Amino acid sequence: MIKYHPDLDLLTEYVAGSLSLAQSACVSAHLNYCDSCSQTVQQLQAVGAAMFESLDPEPVGDALLNRVLARLDEEAPLSYETPRRDSQDATPALLRRLMEGDFSDLAWKKITDTLRTTQIKTGDPNYEFSLLHIKAGGEIPAHDHHGSEMTLVLQGGFTDGHGDYHAGDFVYKTTEDVHTPRAFDDEDCICLAVLDAPLKFTGWKYRWMNPFLRLQAG
Amino acid sequence: MEDTQRGSRGRNSDSWDAPSGRRTDEWSECLVLIAERQDRAAYTRLFRHFAPLIKAFALSGSALSATHADELVQEVMLKIWQKAGAFNPEKAAASTWVYTIARNCRTDMFRRLQKFDTPLAAEDFSQEQEDEEPFTQLQTRRSAERIREMMGNLPADQTQILAKVYMEGKSHAEAAAELDLPLGTVKSRVRLAVQKLQVQFERNAQLGA
Repeated sequence: MIKYHPDLDLLTEYVAGSLSLAQSACVSAHLNYCDSCSQTVQQLQAVGAAMFESLDPEPVGDALLNRVLARLDEEAPLSYETPRRDSQDATPALLRRLMEGDFSDLAWKKITDTLRTTQIKTGDPNYEFSLLHIKAGGEIPAHDHHGSEMTLVLQGGFTDGHGDYHAGDFVYKTTEDVHTPRAFDDEDCICLAVLDAPLKFTGWKYRWMNPFLRLQAG
Repeated sequence: MEDTQRGSRGRNSDSWDAPSGRRTDEWSECLVLIAERQDRAAYTRLFRHFAPLIKAFALSGSALSATHADELVQEVMLKIWQKAGAFNPEKAAASTWVYTIARNCRTDMFRRLQKFDTPLAAEDFSQEQEDEEPFTQLQTRRSAERIREMMGNLPADQTQILAKVYMEGKSHAEAAAELDLPLGTVKSRVRLAVQKLQVQFERNAQLGA
């Protein structure tokens, strides 16, 4: 059962198409796990559609209609299978596509003995999109955020003193939050993290790493 | 407001066939005709109704030039022709289906214009829920109908914000800047509007800023 969800503001921007590409990918991956938010998204789409229908129409001339009609032959109707929604225990299809494979195909970079990360290219110039692999029982050093951090648990889970998060749970942290996530003891944890500014470690032991954690968007 | 939405055909284009709950509106029928028979007359009717709305959508917020707006109209209308077979009248109103395609194409066009180098198209972000129970589908359609009916009762300040957010594609922060309102006011107006439209959402969400 999913306990932590994107709030209404994020879902609204997601539906309206104004959320950044990287953040949209993260919200979309959450929907893969969450029926309730999927329902909300459908209803918000109905809100958008109602707004759309009440727009003042802008005249479109017959020239444009004829141009489109002339192109219909080259654009023959395609029939293809509607992509099915993934089963809820699978890695979301959107992520598999971005990863071009599986978790094991990625080049993981070691940060500490229990933490590895890898950057994934989305094409979004403003947000870094990365995966974190935390060994069972391992911690991410205490850090705060210059910007926002969106996290989606993909496998295993972690606790950070505010709550326990399992696969499908969605966490959104902003500038002022400091937290020390710790993976559950029985399973490694894999999370998706979307950042708009580099993390800053606050503990003295890891502060030396801050200059190396420059944002790598793209 | 209702009348201008329905075009000039003078018939109620969106009504429920009560027993099955199936939609019987004109635009859904057009889409089915296009899918089954590549019916160009139906396509032309659909074009005359939706192309002006798509163009208005392209131009709202004046983010796109007139040339790009015409390009978007063509792109969306061609997609409708290609994808009509995927339209399921049991699940959604034709207008919602068309709106979703228009929004995806516009998002992709924005990203193209900003030279994003991405392997993803906006439509890759939405998932079809084929596994939905008929009862869930019925509920979704009923709530869409209710949203549409109640939209006209929203106070003007809330409608204005929804237009900024949904039609102009502005983020809450951009809408706040343009309307010279605090971000919190924009967010609460969006939430109030959505609550009045009885959209169900999870309230134990992690709060952002």
